[in-house]
Amino acid sequence: MGFLASMWDLVPDVLQTIIVILLKIVAILLPLILAVAYTTLAERKVIGFMQVRLGPNRVGPRGLFQPFADVLKLLIKEVVIPAESNRYLFLLAPMLALVPSFVAWSVIPFFDGGVLANINAGLLFLLALTSLGVYGIILAGWASNSKYAMLSALRAGAQVISYEIAMGFALVGVLMAAGDLNLTKIVNAQSGSIFSWFIWPLFGLFLVYFISGVAETNRAPFDVAEGESEIVAGFHVEYSGMGFALFFLAEYANMILISALTSLMFLGGWLSPFQGLTFLTDTPVIGWVFGNGIHWLFFKISIFLFLYLWFRATFPRYRYDQIMRLGWKVLIPVTIVWIFGEMIAVGLGWKPWL
Amino acid sequence: MTFVQFLFNIYAGITIAAAIGVVTVRNSVYAALCLILTFFSSAAIWILLEAEFLGIVLVLVYVGAVMVLFLFVIMMLDINREQLVERFIKYLPAGIAVAVIIAIEMIVVIQRSAFDTSEQYKAVAQNAPDYNNTEALGELLYTQYLYPFEIAAVVLLVAIIAAIMLTLRKRAVNVRSQDIEKQLRVRPEDRVRLVKMKSGQ
Amino acid sequence: MIPLSHTLIVAAILFSISLAGMFLNRKNVLILLMCIELMLLSVNLNFIAFSHYLNDLGGQLFVFFILTVAAAEAAIGLAILVTMFRNRRTINVQNLDSLKG
Repeated sequence: MGFLASMWDLVPDVLQTIIVILLKIVAILLPLILAVAYTTLAERKVIGFMQVRLGPNRVGPRGLFQPFADVLKLLIKEVVIPAESNRYLFLLAPMLALVPSFVAWSVIPFFDGGVLANINAGLLFLLALTSLGVYGIILAGWASNSKYAMLSALRAGAQVISYEIAMGFALVGVLMAAGDLNLTKIVNAQSGSIFSWFIWPLFGLFLVYFISGVAETNRAPFDVAEGESEIVAGFHVEYSGMGFALFFLAEYANMILISALTSLMFLGGWLSPFQGLTFLTDTPVIGWVFGNGIHWLFFKISIFLFLYLWFRATFPRYRYDQIMRLGWKVLIPVTIVWIFGEMIAVGLGWKPWL
Repeated sequence: MTFVQFLFNIYAGITIAAAIGVVTVRNSVYAALCLILTFFSSAAIWILLEAEFLGIVLVLVYVGAVMVLFLFVIMMLDINREQLVERFIKYLPAGIAVAVIIAIEMIVVIQRSAFDTSEQYKAVAQNAPDYNNTEALGELLYTQYLYPFEIAAVVLLVAIIAAIMLTLRKRAVNVRSQDIEKQLRVRPEDRVRLVKMKSGQ
Repeated sequence: MIPLSHTLIVAAILFSISLAGMFLNRKNVLILLMCIELMLLSVNLNFIAFSHYLNDLGGQLFVFFILTVAAAEAAIGLAILVTMFRNRRTINVQNLDSLKG
């Protein structure tokens, strides 16, 4: 141990900082990728049980190794590049889809102070990054040189841009209530008890945010971009092997990101619902379970991920024009009215209830 | 050369290279992608110059919205590319000459003037660690610049309405379009008629 | 610390590149629109540099307004372009001569 410490001191300062940052990135990304892998398994299992079947159960005990089998299969598949397609953009598109959904995790706080980059415009940064994800979709559709992929890319692009507006307005409501753009401060503004979480005063915005989050990730019931019955498999119809796997990874990473953001901004992130109940938090051995901590964040994220899967198993797919109508004519007016009401409340100084 | 300067040189290099790409590439989609790279790297330069809010807004508004619009238009229009680039070479010398002359003129003026030597520009006060660019801009925007801000909002509104009005197409008369409000208001009793039939007939 | 003149030189080069782009692509309206965006970007860079070195937020607010107006300009410009393409089936500037001006 002492030897390691002395070796560490020999490393120059700049290099030390870089190594620490890289380690932090690995510590965030590795669990994230694992979570993505197991979300795919959970999706198949949950939907399976909802449809009274078993889901994957062959690979490993109870099918627990299924994600690794899937990854292995996708890795050794040939990457087919269609004729007359645009080779470089075709290969660039999956990476452009994946990178923003990973970079966004740099400003997500996992517990008080547990964040890679504690920047003061965190919410704005997230909004900017989520708006970049659309390039992967559009370029994939265009570079594939396929009519189905192109149609689906235009659909998905228009859908993502439209729902971003509703999403942005919902975030405006959150930052008005918290009075700050920093995510750690937004969570700390909700401390007190379960009734000071933003979900109560901003319930409409919470619904709008989660619905537009589902639409933003192109998940059911808003998955017309990949509606099998109309346009084959959507913008990634021409992709095979790792290209497809990257799109898949991006979609699930985005799902987890939206769930994490919803729980941070509306459900108090790592704050415990039993906050303030001292008789619970002072319990000798299991007291920490009721206290604030990263486990509550994970619990809330899992709830929203489960909601994603539940939606997929329950709702029929929307028609495309109805999706656009919902986004522009229902969700955006709701957010505008809600923000107007909130503005009056903040102006009158009703801060404790907001 | 400090680390900030090193970063600045890299970003400036990428910005200029991508800008050259915008004007020389034949394919409009590539031009739009180069422009996206230009915006992105100049957003990085803005952040180096301590304009964090505007840097992020540039990415949000330009890269996230305006350039997507450009790409949509390029992809949806069926442009005859050969016709548009045939006389590219003919204008190359004139274009480069004008650009180089203007660039040299401006650089000479900038180098000779007092920008680098004057004390006024040397004494840049580093912002305090708790300085919040967004908050400072917001305070100024909603007090001193309130009327320009409102006017900017009206300009955006006019732009939205104008863009919609320009591209809104009147469909042909005998097209059966769907009225979603009407569809949603349908009740089962309007559509379904239960008929009692005697069995065995 | 970045010297002020370096930022100004980058902005000047950007501006002249976009000017050259106007010469080179004088037929394609789409690229002309992109060149205008580039020019506005170089002007914005100047504003931000001066705002930083004079320690005055007014420059950044100007950039804010330029961004607003430029976004509106891009939206309307593209709308006009689409309408034009619908009517004439071309975006070549030289074919748009029905006014005979």
